[in-house]
Amino acid sequence: MNRHLLILFLCCLVLPLQAQSDKGGEPWSVNEATLIGAGGYRLKDTYLTPGKEVDYAGWGLRILNERMKMVRWADYRFSRQQILNIDVAKTDNPAESATDFAGFIDYSLGYHYHLYPLHNLKILTGASARGMAGFIYNTRNGNNPASAKVDIDLNLSLLAIYHTRLRNYPFTLRYQLELPVGGLMFSPHFGQSYYEIFNLKNYDGIVRFNSFHNKFAIKNYLTVDFSTKAFTVRAGYLYNYYYTDVNDIQTHIQSHSFMIGVVKEFISFGGKRLKEKERYRSAYY
Amino acid sequence: MYRRIFYIVLYIGILLTACEAERTDMHSPRENFEALWKIMDEYYCFFDYKQIDWQEVYDRYSPQVHESMDQYELFDLLGKMLEELKDGHTNLISSFNTSRYWAWYEDYPANFSSDILNNYLGKSNEYKQVGGIKYRTLDEGRIGYIYYGSFATGIGDSQLDDIFDYFKACHGLIIDIRDNGGGTLSNSDRIASRFPDEKTLVGYIQHKTGRGHARFSDPYPIYLLPSERIHWTRPVVVLTNRRCYSAANNFVQKMSRMSQATILGDRTGGGSGFPFHSELPNGWSIRFSASPMLNEKKEHTEFGIDPDIHVSLTTEDSMKGRDTLIERAIHFLRLSE
Repeated sequence: MNRHLLILFLCCLVLPLQAQSDKGGEPWSVNEATLIGAGGYRLKDTYLTPGKEVDYAGWGLRILNERMKMVRWADYRFSRQQILNIDVAKTDNPAESATDFAGFIDYSLGYHYHLYPLHNLKILTGASARGMAGFIYNTRNGNNPASAKVDIDLNLSLLAIYHTRLRNYPFTLRYQLELPVGGLMFSPHFGQSYYEIFNLKNYDGIVRFNSFHNKFAIKNYLTVDFSTKAFTVRAGYLYNYYYTDVNDIQTHIQSHSFMIGVVKEFISFGGKRLKEKERYRSAYY
Repeated sequence: MYRRIFYIVLYIGILLTACEAERTDMHSPRENFEALWKIMDEYYCFFDYKQIDWQEVYDRYSPQVHESMDQYELFDLLGKMLEELKDGHTNLISSFNTSRYWAWYEDYPANFSSDILNNYLGKSNEYKQVGGIKYRTLDEGRIGYIYYGSFATGIGDSQLDDIFDYFKACHGLIIDIRDNGGGTLSNSDRIASRFPDEKTLVGYIQHKTGRGHARFSDPYPIYLLPSERIHWTRPVVVLTNRRCYSAANNFVQKMSRMSQATILGDRTGGGSGFPFHSELPNGWSIRFSASPMLNEKKEHTEFGIDPDIHVSLTTEDSMKGRDTLIERAIHFLRLSE
């Protein structure tokens, strides 16, 4: 029984990864973009400034990798999107007497159903699962120097992709909205020290359910793709807002990042398809 | 097409307005006074234990705040208000001064002299030093002596092994932590773990669960686990004075639970509140006791721990360059040989 369950589980993992189409024999390609960005950050965390929401403002850097490809569900009307994001920031309090350093890494895996209301417009609706880990470190604080962020959530996800031309020059515009609806996150209790949690191992109640009653986060992502002679360039603007109020500890993380990077469209071969050597010329095989 | 671009730009503009800055007059004396009072009101952990009426403190100090105060006057007033808490872990920190409450040791005899201590340690080549610890043997090699002046200076397990190995011929040990104002609790744990022979309850910790003065979590037990490295099972005397504070107070609390340990000297200074930091709108930093640590009977040790044997440094001994506490400790260990 357990073996059958294991096989079923492995099939669930593997099936979405088989993105090459049998349709007409043409494989589905992967759209991948890697962008770097910079922009303004604002951080407020009452674990680091108990009793007072202090607005730390500064700048941050971001690197983002995104991959999209169609998957076979519903006759290839679903696509899978993976986004890996790493960002770091340095912010100062208004008096410039203290500094918060922050770093976050998050990964999201989303599936979207494709609708085609107009010939040059695609609407993608779906959901994504996201995991985030990070920290805000305050250089001044002694026993509450850092606020750790670990958060997994389920998001509503919406994309609009629009192909257009400006004086016969083709562009692709994309708007994406991500809205978490529920998940789990780490949070110390109101006045609890990390010494009590990690040194004395009092883990009681530090994982909390989150939804709209104690968390509001939104990600707006706007990009434009255009081709130059050598590259397809993706330029974008990413607005991230993350607010939690758990155990009476409020956290605001807000960032505006202006992004630039390159896009490539490639066909991924793997598994059995690697045996079809007539379809590719490898430097390795 | 231009209209579309216009709408996109407009949308970005709307998003950007979502991050309008909180507008405060960060240098307003009133605003900073109110912020400090509120931070302490919501997070300070000893109001009930110390029977402090914080609202009454507000009523007394609030009329003294006026907008024409300069930053030095404001700092002095806020520092004075914090003195009402009688807490050595509570400080207001600006770029020009740090307010502090030191009556927990200033109002008492020192019972310690570094000059007299040097008579026991000898010259620099007569004692060993590793990390923050100075050590040597006394009483013709029969007693090991450690002076540890700050738990903020680290000490590693390998270093402790070497120290205990050096004392292997000694039948007793003196750990002198007089004038140790505290530091890192993990250093306290690391040294104390060399003494229990089994998992030992050494106290409890609580944290605030909300803004009310009496909102605390249930006490969570703190156990000291025996170290898997070299153990000290022979008699040990811990020397204390009023300047043993915070992590040093915590160390004494742990050692008081060890069957082979005797606390000798004066009452410790206390400081059992685990401190947190916050800040005022003008950027001044505030440190305060946020999370109480209790003894094994769930009692506060904020105002210190009494020794098993009360000994003071006598004027007569001081005149002779003798340390009464060390002499009594040596005598005590000789008797227990």
